[in-house]
Order: sequence, then C-alpha cells, then structure tokens
Amino acid sequence: MSTEESSAVDDVGIAAGVSVERPWALLVLAGFWGWLGSRWINDFLLPDSIAVSSERSFVPVDPVAAAAETLGSVAAALGPVGAPVDVVASLVGFVAGSLPHLPPLARGAWLTLLLTVAGIGFGFVLAVPLSVGRVYGGRWLRWLSLSYTELIRGTPLLAQLFVLYFGLPLTQVIRELPGVGAGPLPAQAFWVAVVGFTLNSAAYQAEYIRSALESVDAGQLTAARAVGLSRAEGIRYVVLPQGLRYAIPGWSNELIYLIKYSSLAAFITVRELFFRAEAIANDTFRYTELFVLAALFYLALVLSASVVMGWVEERSSVPGVGGRQ
Amino acid sequence: MVQTGDWVFVLSNADTLLFGLVVTVVLTLTSLSVGFLLGFPAGAIEVYGDGVLRRVVTVAGGLLRGTPIVVILLVLFFVVSVSESAFITATVGLGLRSAAYQSQLFRGALQSVDEGQLEAARATGMGKLQAIRHVVVPQALRRSMPGFQNEFTIVLKDTSIAFAIGLAELLTQGYNLFTQSGRSTAVLEVFLVISAVYFVLTFLTNRGLDRVSDYYAIPAGENR
Amino acid sequence: MTLLRIDDVYQSYEAEQVLQGVSFDMQQGDVDVLMGPSGSGKSTMLRCINRLTEVDSGDIWLGDTHVTAPETDVNELRQDVGMVFQDFNLFAHLTALENITLGLKRVKGVHAEQARERARGHLDQVGLGDQTDAYPAELSGGQKQRVGIARALAMEPKLMLFDEPTSALDPELVGDVVAVMQDLAAGGMTMLVVSHEMGFARSAADDIHFLDNGQIVESGPPEQLFEQPEQDRTAGFLSGLQADGPQ
Ligand SMILES: Nc1ncnc2c1ncn2[C@@H]1O[C@H](COP(=O)(O)OP(=O)(O)O)[C@@H](O)[C@H]1O
Ligand SMILES: [Mg+2]
Repeated sequence: MSTEESSAVDDVGIAAGVSVERPWALLVLAGFWGWLGSRWINDFLLPDSIAVSSERSFVPVDPVAAAAETLGSVAAALGPVGAPVDVVASLVGFVAGSLPHLPPLARGAWLTLLLTVAGIGFGFVLAVPLSVGRVYGGRWLRWLSLSYTELIRGTPLLAQLFVLYFGLPLTQVIRELPGVGAGPLPAQAFWVAVVGFTLNSAAYQAEYIRSALESVDAGQLTAARAVGLSRAEGIRYVVLPQGLRYAIPGWSNELIYLIKYSSLAAFITVRELFFRAEAIANDTFRYTELFVLAALFYLALVLSASVVMGWVEERSSVPGVGGRQ
Repeated sequence: MVQTGDWVFVLSNADTLLFGLVVTVVLTLTSLSVGFLLGFPAGAIEVYGDGVLRRVVTVAGGLLRGTPIVVILLVLFFVVSVSESAFITATVGLGLRSAAYQSQLFRGALQSVDEGQLEAARATGMGKLQAIRHVVVPQALRRSMPGFQNEFTIVLKDTSIAFAIGLAELLTQGYNLFTQSGRSTAVLEVFLVISAVYFVLTFLTNRGLDRVSDYYAIPAGENR
Repeated sequence: MTLLRIDDVYQSYEAEQVLQGVSFDMQQGDVDVLMGPSGSGKSTMLRCINRLTEVDSGDIWLGDTHVTAPETDVNELRQDVGMVFQDFNLFAHLTALENITLGLKRVKGVHAEQARERARGHLDQVGLGDQTDAYPAELSGGQKQRVGIARALAMEPKLMLFDEPTSALDPELVGDVVAVMQDLAAGGMTMLVVSHEMGFARSAADDIHFLDNGQIVESGPPEQLFEQPEQDRTAGFLSGLQADGPQ
C-alpha cells in the first residue's frame, strides 16, 4: 500500500488553512449567504409577479457605475495626490462591472452546492461499506475494495467524468428518467456529474474512514465481543462510532476538495458556478471581473465549509475521542 | 461500444498520446519543482518568520488553497496573462497552488521536530540558521515524505486540468483524438487507455517514492 | 581561580518570577550540585549560564567573559559551556558519531576526518566505542545520555552543565551515566549538576546549593547539608527525597 493515507490527517491543516478565527470573516460570510439565499428564493420560488427579474441584480447598476466614473474624474483632477481615490474608483468600478453578473453566478452556485452535497452524501453511503470491507472483510472483499479505491485515486477526476459522460451511454439512460431537465430538476449532465463525484468521493472517503477505523484500538472490538455483541454489532455499535469521529477531520478535507473540484463538472456542460463565469467571460470579454468573482464565490464556499466542519467537529467530539486536541 | 476497430484506432494514434504523456510528465515535474522552491521557504517563513512577510505568505497560501485550480489557471491565462504559452501558464498555476500545499506540509514537518533538537544544536554554539539547516531541516524533510508523495500524485492528476487552457497534455490529446478525427465511437477506448496510463504513472510514482523514503528512513532499533 | 560567578540573578517569564536574586561562585575544577523542588528554577538557572534564557538583571561571569553582557557572542560562549539535557536531545537523524562531529565541523571548523577521530575518542571515553554508527533510536536511554555527554565534551568546554541527566532513565541504567560523570569530576572538569542522585552528590560534589522558589536557601558541602541542614525547608525536602527516592 502507498503511504499516502498516513498524511490524511495532516491534510486538514492544509485544506482548512484558510483562517476562520476572525469575527469579521464570519460577518462577511453571513452577508454572502443572506444574499445567496434571497437570490435563490427570488429566482426559484417566488412567482414572477412579485420577484425581481432573475436577470437583474438586487442593487441597481447605474448609480454605482456613475459613482465610479465620478470618483475616477476626481482622481484624475487631483493628479498624483489622487492615487488613493483612483484605487477606490477602480474598486467601485469593479463592483459596477460585477453587479450584472451576480444573478447567473448565484444560480450556478446553487448547482455547485447540490453537486458537492450529493457527491459527499452519496459518496459517504458507498464509503462506509468500502472501508469496513477493507478493514474487516475477507480476502476477496478486501481485494475488491482496495482495487476500487486505488483505481479511482490513481486516475484524474476529469478523465473519470469524460469516461462517464462521453464514453458510457449513461446520458441516454438518464435522459429517459422522468422529470430530468424539467422544472427545477437539473439536466442530465448534472446527474452524470453526481454519479462521477459520488464514485470518486467514495474512494477518498473510504481511505479516510479506513485509516480512522484502524486507529480505533483493537481492544475495543475484543471488549465488545466479550460483552456478547456479535462481530457485526461490535463494528456497528463500538468501532464505527469512534472511527467516524476520528474520520471527521479527513471528511472536512474531502468536503473542501469537492467544492473546488465540482468546477470540473463545467467540462461536461453542467451549468454550475465556474461554467457560468467562463461562459459570461467568453461572451463579454470581462475576464477579470468574472474570474475574480468566481474565485471569491469559491473562497466563500470553502470558508463556510471549514467553519461548519469546525463546528461539527466540536459538537461530535466526546472527551478523549475526536475533536481538536 | 467497445469494438476492435476502435482499439486499433487508439493504437495507430499512439504517438499522439505519447506526446501528451511526455507533456504530462514534464509538467508534473516542473510544477512540483516550482512548488518546492516556493513552498519550502514559505513553510519556513510560517514557522520562523514574523511580521508582514509571514502575513503575506499566510494570506496568499489561503487564497491559493481556497480556489479551484481551474479558476487559478484561467485567471493566470486571461487576467494576469503570465505567458502566451499554455505550458508556462500551467507550470505557474500548478506550481503556485502546489507551493501553497507544500508550504503547509513543510510547516507541519518543521513544527513536528522537537524543540529540544534546535536547543541542543544552539547549546553547542551553532547559530540559529545553522541549527535549522543542519538539524531541523534534515529531519523535517524526512517527515514530509508521505505528504510529499500525496502531493506528487495530486499534481500529476491535476495536470489534466490544463485541458482548460488547451495545453496538449495527455487528456487533451485524447479528447482531441476523438473530437477531431470524427471517430466518436472510440471515445470509451481512448479514455480508458488514458486512465490506464495515469494509473500506471501514479502507481510507479508511489512505488518509487516509497523506495526513496525507505532509503532515507532513520533506523530504529529494539530500544525505546 | 573563580571560573563561574553568579551575581544576584533575577529572571521571570511573563507574569511568573522564577529566579529571585541567586548568587554563588564556582572555582575551577569544582563540582556543584543544584537541588530543589520541581519548578524552583534549577533548569532556568542553568539555561541562563549558556544564555538559552536571558536574565532580567544580575551578572554572570565565566572566567573573564561577561556572559550576561548583550554584546557577548552567544555562539562563542556556548562552545565554552557544555550542556547535557534531561531528555538527551540527540540529533535523531545522525549516528552517535555524527552527533558529535556536527558541532566540531560546523562550529569549530574541524576537518571531517579529524572530527571523526576526535569523536571516536570521546565515545571511547564514555564507554561507547562500539556504538559509533548506531542511530539514537537504536540506543538505550543510558547510552543516549552518554552520547549526549560525549557530544558536549567534544567542544572542549570549560564548564559542563547537567540538567537532571539521569531522571529520564530506567533505574538500572543510572549507574553507567553516574560513573561517567564521576570520571569526569575526578578528571578535574568543572561541573554544575542539577540532580537528586544522592550517591553522586555525596561522592563527587564540593558544594550543594538548595534552591527553593528561585532563591538559594542553603549551600554547603554534602556532609553538612545532608547531616545537619540549617534550614527546615532543606531538611524537609531532603527527608522527602530519602523517603521517596529521586523525583
Ligand atoms: N519557557 C517558559 N515559559 C514560561 N514559564 C516557564 C518556562 N520555563 C519554565 N517556566 C516556569 O518557570 C518555573 C521554573 O521552571 P524550571 O526552571 O524549569 O524549574 P525546575 O527545573 O527547577 O523544575 C516553573 O514554574 C515553570 O513553569
Ligand atoms: Mg528542570
């Protein structure tokens, strides 16, 4: 086996490296989610009669653009002393240039969120049997789950998505399913991406859970057998509850990876956050605004995830098992 | 789906894929080198540095770790325009991002070396830099091997994302093979072959680096 | 000749006052033992002497070097002061021999072959001539500590500091280390030893200083301090030691 998994726990520090211990950062995040939530409610739920048009930003663009222009001319008039004003002017100009693109990006972020949550959730459902099979299974089961995780972790996610989307008749099958692409349910490519992220994330999560299970003292299962539990019950009620707590840091890590790598769904035409940003940029040539905005969106999502996971870690820890020491 | 004719098609275009393979391998090596050259000092600054420099390193690292690599690549290509060349852009993008991860790796490794080691070195009269260089760093580098191995395979796999800026690496070459030749029935064969090649690459990398770790491992006896 | 002079030294960490006016002298060739309860400031006192810790006020002199003067080059000072640590702090990635040659090569600029020659001599001196190529993880605690002593000796210090050199050792390994220290003492090395090893103190110490709460409560030769301590605190501490063994 590779020594890769020994670093699983170290990775937490790596991915969650974005610092979250600042109150103002929490405030900014709260503002972001307030806006994003309102946007989704407005665009997806409110009837058209009372909703703001899904193409219009909440804040009118024109006054902001005008302000930027005024500031720009003030800076020009001030000459060299006007440099700080000029900086403010270009910031306001950036906001003015960004505002019109926020609504489509918000809709893209909705798919990003769905992809991530579906990938991690379904992936988890697959990962638990994979890892339990790997640790406690017989020879065949161990071999099978090892092969699966190594194959998935040894190939690029983008190649996996291409195999699923271009190579397999998955799209035709999904297209026939009732409701796909109609109303609020996303189109077929989205479901292919969900399948891809699930299969991929299952392998990585299985590795985290496996090393967590192995870190549970062997005496725990022996003690469970000694009080009369069956092997399966011992694993279910004694080892897994401890192991999964140890796995939470790795799991936070995986969530953050998935948020970022969900952007690859754009290459199989899923209209998520990055897809929208790139499409608009190609149309309008406003590369700076759109790619910087996309980066800011992802940063906000990643930061939020690490805040939430820090909280989950704290809540789920019992003295001596899990949590940050 | 899978037809013998399509396998023959893949085989007859082996040179195209081979070219992509070379680009992938070279890009992996250049990116990891950039990552190491920037990431190691960055990690050291996070441990031993202070003031503005340390803040800059921390913030830059956080930004790079919080942004998808595809966004980083497009920002570098279209906004910053680091280079006309997709290869150089990819090296810079993957290299910077890897530096951000490697800095965390080395930061952790440097911090994990017991403080007494530095102290004992200072007590014999070594200067701080000397003590770090001869006592802490050699131990930290050994401890970062497993993490570096992990990072190596991540970079190797993520070279495929240079697809986004049209770099002719392995995945792009495969994609072009089936889109440009009109041979769309060969899609599955092409991507299976490519995936197999990536798998062999990551497998060989892992085995190779395992050997390096074993070679440099510090012997431990029965005692203690 | 007075080799070490400690004069009214005060030291504190943030809120906590540790050393509160410590003074004593050591003559060339003296062996002094520092005793006292845990947290009384013994390690801090030693660390001030090679400036791993800085004093708040007071003066320390080593021969004619003004240790506590800001302009004193600490790296030069530390070559004259060998230190042996409680938990050894051997360089984990280097063999026993390399642990010793590192300082010789990097600090003293000794040529590699000559450094190895000298290192072998010091390992022989501590009875480890056959362990030159062993890594720290391959050595027992007693062997590690003897390498630690050899490493310090190799720099040819004027003064050796020992911070509880035997307290991390299994009881059966203490003897080897104490024997090496007794040899050193007999050979005329000036040594300041933090230790509760009564056997060593009785046989080798010229003076014992009893430190409590950052102050020297009582000093004197072992016979006097052990048989007729003047202070109740000293007597209480020593009777505790004798009852419970070294702490
Ligand atoms: N680096 C430090 N920072 C803060 N307090 C310290 C530090 N080192 C020691 N102390 C405190 O100083 C006091 C004396 O410590 P020390 O000199 O190690 O005592 P001893 O060696 O006699 O046990 C203790 O209360 C200890 O907690
Ligand atoms: Mg102490």
